[in-house]
Amino acid sequence: MKEKKAGEIESEILLPMLERAISFLTDDMQIKVTSNSAEVFCPNQVELKKNTAMIGTGGSIQVIITMSYDDQLLEKLVEAFLEGEKADEDELDEIRESVSSEIVNTVVGNALTNPLDGTMLTITPPILIYEAKSLFKHKSSRIAAAIVTTEFGDMLLTVIGPKESFANALNFKEL
Amino acid sequence: MLNVLIVDDSLIIRKNVKKYITSLGHNVVGEAQNGAQAIEACKKLKPDLITMDITMPDMDGITAVKNIRVFDKDVNVIMVTSHGQEEMIVSSLKAGAKGYILKPVSEEKLAKSIGTIFKEYNKEVGDSDDDLMDDLDD
Repeated sequence: MKEKKAGEIESEILLPMLERAISFLTDDMQIKVTSNSAEVFCPNQVELKKNTAMIGTGGSIQVIITMSYDDQLLEKLVEAFLEGEKADEDELDEIRESVSSEIVNTVVGNALTNPLDGTMLTITPPILIYEAKSLFKHKSSRIAAAIVTTEFGDMLLTVIGPKESFANALNFKEL
Repeated sequence: MLNVLIVDDSLIIRKNVKKYITSLGHNVVGEAQNGAQAIEACKKLKPDLITMDITMPDMDGITAVKNIRVFDKDVNVIMVTSHGQEEMIVSSLKAGAKGYILKPVSEEKLAKSIGTIFKEYNKEVGDSDDDLMDDLDD
């Protein structure tokens, strides 16, 4: 099997997710994507927004996948999920968290492929991060990222590996 | 009218599935947020149909279906999940699921899947992910 370069696996995992995220926003949520942002890049640093949900993969590839939303975009996504219904004020925060988690779950679950050996990858239940966070690439870590720009703000997608290099709240730990 | 148990850790999915099930003329008898709760609810409520997520904390949906079939081998379960991987669908079928809906869930997908299992509710509606299962059957 040809060895993959650092960041190549993360980029290959991210690309179908980016395509699914764009189709999810446009076709399922009726939110217009304003720029053709179907590009994956490998930054040394990413700024996760305060509305971030993350999922881990299990199987032959173990990475963390995050999806961050600008506030206004998340509000529009909540509206779309509610399908015109009004939520009770006291459950709105929980619904917002639920929508944030559900989108990453749907996009990742729909689009997850294994570019390494084709075997099935499992996913963990989503975990929410409640604060904006800077994430720096270390020598043993890899980051692939993509930004989708919509009429209501940006969605940032990242694939970060290896999973064991990060704690649950995405704090890097030295191995 | 079917008595339905909804199992999903996502509040928004439980709310939407409940709305669709009710709109289709069925009765939601209970909700559960993980596999362990689903087993207990199933023993207590004896639903005609369960909609079951796969990825949940504490106990996943496939494990829950296997456990439920120990005391109710005829249970009717539709997996409602984001997993599109063929192996996951096969695992669900082997566990005993009778239908499979790929998220995002819609009323049309649910109606079609219910109609496939319960012929008396079979109406001509749009595409469902039961087509995924038909492909696998072939």
